[in-house]
Amino acid sequence: MSTSLPLKLRTLAPGLRGFLSSTPFLLLMLFGFVAPLVCVVWFGLMPPRTFEVAQMPTLENYRTIFGQTYFKSILWSLGLAVATVMILLVVCYPLAFAIAKIFKGGGYFVTYAIVTSLFVSENIRLFGWVIGFMKNGVVGGTLARYFEIDIDSLLYNIPVIILGMVYVYLPFMLFPLVLGLKMVPDQVREAAFDLGASRWQVFRKIDLPLSMPGVMIGSLLVFVLSIGAISEAKILGGQKVVTIASDIESEFTYAQNWPLGSALSTLFIALTTIVVFSVLGRFDLEKLLGKKSS
Amino acid sequence: MLLSTAPPIMEVSGVTKRFDRFTAVDDVTFEIHDGEFFTLVGPSGSGKTTLLRMLVGMEKPSSGELRLRGKRINDLSPNKRPTCMVFQSLALFPHMTVGQNVEFPMTIRGVSGGDRRTRSWELLNLLHLNPEQYYRKNVTQCSGGERQRVALARALAYDPDILFFDEPLSAIDAQLRKVLQKELKDIQRRTKKTFCYVTHSLEEAMVMSDRVAILRKGSIEQIATPDEIYASPKNAFVAEFMGEVNLLSITIPGDGVAHWHTGRNAMPPITVKIPASAVPVEDGAARKLLIRPESLRFIAPGEAADNSVPVRILNEFSLGSRIQYHVGVAADCTLIVERLREERTTATEAVLGWDTRDSQVLES
Repeated sequence: MSTSLPLKLRTLAPGLRGFLSSTPFLLLMLFGFVAPLVCVVWFGLMPPRTFEVAQMPTLENYRTIFGQTYFKSILWSLGLAVATVMILLVVCYPLAFAIAKIFKGGGYFVTYAIVTSLFVSENIRLFGWVIGFMKNGVVGGTLARYFEIDIDSLLYNIPVIILGMVYVYLPFMLFPLVLGLKMVPDQVREAAFDLGASRWQVFRKIDLPLSMPGVMIGSLLVFVLSIGAISEAKILGGQKVVTIASDIESEFTYAQNWPLGSALSTLFIALTTIVVFSVLGRFDLEKLLGKKSS
Repeated sequence: MLLSTAPPIMEVSGVTKRFDRFTAVDDVTFEIHDGEFFTLVGPSGSGKTTLLRMLVGMEKPSSGELRLRGKRINDLSPNKRPTCMVFQSLALFPHMTVGQNVEFPMTIRGVSGGDRRTRSWELLNLLHLNPEQYYRKNVTQCSGGERQRVALARALAYDPDILFFDEPLSAIDAQLRKVLQKELKDIQRRTKKTFCYVTHSLEEAMVMSDRVAILRKGSIEQIATPDEIYASPKNAFVAEFMGEVNLLSITIPGDGVAHWHTGRNAMPPITVKIPASAVPVEDGAARKLLIRPESLRFIAPGEAADNSVPVRILNEFSLGSRIQYHVGVAADCTLIVERLREERTTATEAVLGWDTRDSQVLES
C-alpha cells in the first residue's frame, strides 16, 4: 500500500509532479505568510476599535496615525536600527577579518563562543545587563565597594539601549562578514600589497569591495531585525524611548485597537521594504559603476 | 651571450628558512644577473616556492642575506620592494576591468589618469591584447591565456627591477603553454627586464631561461645554462629531472670498467666499459651511468659496439618522428630506447648496444 502513491506520482506529467511536490511548501507559505499579511492589511482598513472583519473598508486608522505622533516612534526605531548597523559594522569588521584571515583554528573558538551565547534567550541576556547596570548592580556595586565612587543607575538611557541592540545582534553582523571576507582570496590581497599598496589601500581597494556581499547581507539582516526590536528599549530603556514595535504591541494589548495596530504594522512593513529594496538597488548600481568607471 | 659577466642585480647569500623543525630552504647562495631570464626549478617540496616568497618579501629568511643592487632587503616588506610577482593563481582583481587591473600599481603610485591610460594601452599592445577590445572588459570574462597576459601587463606596469613568476603557466593546457613560454621569453628580451621564474618543469625552464638553478630538498644542486645542464648534469638527480633518461646502477672496481647491477635478484653484474670521468672512482661506492635513450641502438649480428647486452622488447610507443621502446634487461631492469621511425624493429629479442663516449658516470 505504501508504495502505491510514489508509483502513481511517477505516471503523472512532469509539470504536475513538480506542482504536487511543491504543494506542502506552497500551503505553508500561503497560510503561514501570505494569509496573515493579507489579514493585517485588511484589518488595518476596518473602523477603529472593532473586531469585525466584514465591514466597509475605511482609511480612518491611517488618518489617526498621520494626525498623531506615531512618526516619532518610527523615527526612533529607524535611528536605533541605523546606529546599531553602523556600530556593528565598525565593531565586527576587524573581528571578522581576524576570524577569516588571521586566527586559523582559533577562529572556531570565537565562533563557538559567540554562537553559544545564542542558546540563552534574548530577554534573559538583557536582564543580565540590567543586573550589571542597575543602581548598586555589578558595575555600580563594584565601584562603590572598592573605589568608593557612588554612581546612579546606568540604565534607562539611549546609549544603553544601543548597547543592548549591538550586543544582541552582533552574531547576525559578524557571521555574514566572516563569510564575505573568506571570499577575498589571500593571493589577491598579497598581489595588491606586492604591487605597492599600503595596508590601508589594500583594505580600501581589495578587502572592502570584495567583501561587500557580506557587508550588505549583514547590514540588511541587522537592520531588519533591529528596526522591529522591542525588548531592548523596554528592558534597558524603561520608558525613555518608545519604538514603533512597542506602539504596535500596545495597540493590540492595552488599547484593544486592533485595526489601528494593523494599520501601523502595514505602514511599518511597507517602510522597511522600501528601505531594504532601495539599499539593495543602490548596492547593485554602485557595483556596476565600480566596474565601468575608469 | 655576456650574461654570465653581467653585474648581479640580486645576491642571495646563505639564505635559510625554517618552519618549526622543518627546513624548507637550506643555506642557499646564488646571484641573479641584470637582464637575464633566471629560473628556479625543482620538484614539489624542493623549497622553490618558499625561496621565491623570500625573494619577493612575503616570507622572511630565518638566516642569510638578500641584497638587491647591493642593498640589504631582508626586512623590506613587499610593497616597499622594487620587485613584484606574477602568482600561480594570477591573483587578478576580480572586481576590476582589464584596464583597472593593469593601472593598479600606477594608481597606487599616484600617476595621473591620462598617463596611466597611455601606459596601460602601451602594455596591452605589447602583450597582444587589443586595448580597444580589452581595456573595458571585466577580467572574469577573459580566457586563461588572456588572464596570463593581463597579469604580466599589471606586473610590468609596476616597473619592477626584477619580475618574479610562480609557475603561472602550470594551469594552462600544453599547446597554449608552449606559445606563452615563447612569448614570455620574447617579452623579456624586448623589455630587457630581469625575470626570475619558478617551475617544476625543467623542460619549461630549458626553453626560456638564460640560466637555471635546480633545487632539491631546499638546496641548490646545480646552477648553469640550459646547454651546460644538458651536456653535463651534475648528478643523477639532475639527469633524471631532465626527463626520460637511463640511469644504470653501477659500482666501479677499477679503471675504465664498471659492474652494472641490473636488479635486486642474484644475477651476476654485467661488466661495461665506462669513460674516464671527473667522478672519483677508487672508493667502490654506488654510481649511476647516464645513457640517453637516443644513444642506445639495436645492433645487427656482426655489427660492433663498445658495449652490448641481449634484451627483450617489451613495448613500443610512437613519438611522432621517433619510436620509443621499453626493453627488459633483467626481470626488474627496464631501459628506454628511442630510434628514428625508419629504423623500426618488430623483433621481440634483440641486442642493445651503445658507445662508451655516449655514457657518463654520475654521483647518485
